[in-house]
Amino acid sequence: MTHKSRSGLARLGPLPWIGPAVLLILVVVVWPVYEMVRTSFLKISTSGFVRGSAGTDKYQKLFDEPDFGHVLTWTVIWTLTVVGLTILISLGLAQLFNQQFPGRRVTRWALIAPWAASVLMTSIGFKWMLNQTAGVLNTAMTDLGLIDKPEDWLGDPSTAWPWMIFVAVFVSLPFTTYTLLAGLQTVPGEVYEAAKVDGTSTWQTYLRITLPLLRPALLVGVVINLINVFNSFPVIWGMTQGGPASDTATTTVFMYQLLNTDMGESAALSVVNFALVVVMVLFFLKVSRWNQEEGR
Amino acid sequence: MNRRVLSLSAICAVGALALTACGSNGGGGGKSADGSVTLKLVAADYGDKATNASKLYWDEVAKGFEAANPKIKVDVQVINWNDIDTQVKTMIQSGNVPDVLQTGGYADKVADDLLYKASDVLSPATQSNFIDSFSKAGQVDGTQYGIPFVSSARAFFYNKTIFSKAGIAAPPTTWDEVKADAQIIKSKKLAATPYALPLGPEEAQGESMIWELGNNGGYTDDSGKYTINSQANIDTFSWLKTNLVDPGLTYANPATTDRKTAFADFAAGKVGMLNGHPSLIQMAKDGKVDYGVAPIPGKTGPLTSTLGVADWMMAFKKNGHQEQIKKFLDFAFSKENTLKFDEEYNLMPVTKDTLQEMTSSGKHKDLEPFFSLLPGAKFYPLGDTTWDAVSAEIKKSGGTAVKDDPAQVLGALQKKAEDAVANK
Repeated sequence: MTHKSRSGLARLGPLPWIGPAVLLILVVVVWPVYEMVRTSFLKISTSGFVRGSAGTDKYQKLFDEPDFGHVLTWTVIWTLTVVGLTILISLGLAQLFNQQFPGRRVTRWALIAPWAASVLMTSIGFKWMLNQTAGVLNTAMTDLGLIDKPEDWLGDPSTAWPWMIFVAVFVSLPFTTYTLLAGLQTVPGEVYEAAKVDGTSTWQTYLRITLPLLRPALLVGVVINLINVFNSFPVIWGMTQGGPASDTATTTVFMYQLLNTDMGESAALSVVNFALVVVMVLFFLKVSRWNQEEGR
Repeated sequence: MNRRVLSLSAICAVGALALTACGSNGGGGGKSADGSVTLKLVAADYGDKATNASKLYWDEVAKGFEAANPKIKVDVQVINWNDIDTQVKTMIQSGNVPDVLQTGGYADKVADDLLYKASDVLSPATQSNFIDSFSKAGQVDGTQYGIPFVSSARAFFYNKTIFSKAGIAAPPTTWDEVKADAQIIKSKKLAATPYALPLGPEEAQGESMIWELGNNGGYTDDSGKYTINSQANIDTFSWLKTNLVDPGLTYANPATTDRKTAFADFAAGKVGMLNGHPSLIQMAKDGKVDYGVAPIPGKTGPLTSTLGVADWMMAFKKNGHQEQIKKFLDFAFSKENTLKFDEEYNLMPVTKDTLQEMTSSGKHKDLEPFFSLLPGAKFYPLGDTTWDAVSAEIKKSGGTAVKDDPAQVLGALQKKAEDAVANK
């Protein structure tokens, strides 16, 4: 009851402490989002001059883009393939790193390398390794007799996609493996002992005990990766810039390509992308709350 | 665990959003109390290392100009080619425009009535000094807005060593000869890429136009209407597809191969022939490639007029500094200054007195095959205010015309061009 008698001024007491954080959020999160949405309804000339409102024309133009359909399809395939492969390989790697073996510490360190290096750097590194005339991977594969002559891997969408997926998986592995490894270490040893006493096979133990207990870590890994891979710009931009034309572009890269021709249309795609990410974040929040409740 | 991951991703999100907000920067000229005026000059960087950065050149020009005009200060900002378009867009969008801008194109700014007419900011003597073909390329609907700054023209380069090993006596003059020579080079394994065809996003519009000119095609007809999917152009790309790309006489994927790759390959001796411009001269010399320069082959004979490219200077009306800009441009386009710039970067002049000086001084033997091309050069439809948007589309997907169906690719581009005209 004493709370009610406080003066209005005193109620502002916490403001100096939370004020800077609120201001930061307003300036670097809310304001750019507002600008982004506003821009998507503007008519902007190629020179950058604002010519007034465009209504929903830019959204209309975006959905009418001949490339938009296959860009969306590829975005879905790209996200699902990369996340799926990453999780599968990480499950194996985490299991391996959870075993005692000589040199485990060093190999665990080594796994951090793709994570520690800038993704753009890794992508450009692979781009050069795959270069047709000077690439070390082309030379190695020719010498090993895997291919007859050096190939232009990144120039053709059908060969560029597998390589980009490979690189995206390569840079996503460390985070996912460590998340799963942390999960594995929380599984108490007694559970395994009890299972042993009951005479379960190794495979049964994995399916019935390890995987269910790993669920919290697995869900975090899946959702964070979904957001990350969906937004993945550096891998694709660094390797093909979405080309030829928009054949290897996801929506994030396509947005950047549109910036050259129509700023408003590009902003419209940003809004669409932003909405999709918000949906994924809400999903993540829901899932993590569900996790906590299950954990109790 | 969850919370840490959450806060980590929150920090990432905040960082990413903060980055997008860093586009604009302060400034903007104005009159100060003592009546002096600050002109804001934004220019592109032609240098490739610290010692030849264009900033050094412009600082020198500004210093000389300020000494002669104590009431006018020049604020120089030099931006590299990769960023200048986006940064200028941001300046215009935020209302913080420069007084004088030197970059690659001008017409899209005319559409929004942002620029002074050339005659408003150039003295008659300076204006009549420009080579006519360039002044004309600076016109929108008969009025000159774009002020040419430097130029370059395309010619055919070939590797003399490879040609003599192949037993080819003279450079090709027709498309069929290009194909025949490329086949000899390929069969004798003298070069990884017999003919370099760069149609990647860097400059697809350039290589495309050169080939289209060879078949009397081009991007527009005489009235200025877009004719990107004219029969002549479709035939040109069909020819390239069946005669150079499919038989493996050029890169496997021209649509993703950029000009700089082609130039680097030529300088490394891996290319038999290609279309190049004067900056390839120095690269070839550095790579110890014995090169020859010849007229560009067309379908039935060499091109009489080749592709000319110019970079432009323009003056913005917003800050109202017409008098001061006029003084500055007259100073910047003096023979002394333009000659220094052209010689520094091995570029071609746009003014009559500098061309005269460079042709007669005997110091530029390398450039001689190019000087004669200038007066008759053909340009992109620079004066069309939709060209920048159309050019961006051609850069993005034009190259796929030699892999997919040419009629379909060019048809889609033509449609985009017509849409751009309709929404002008």
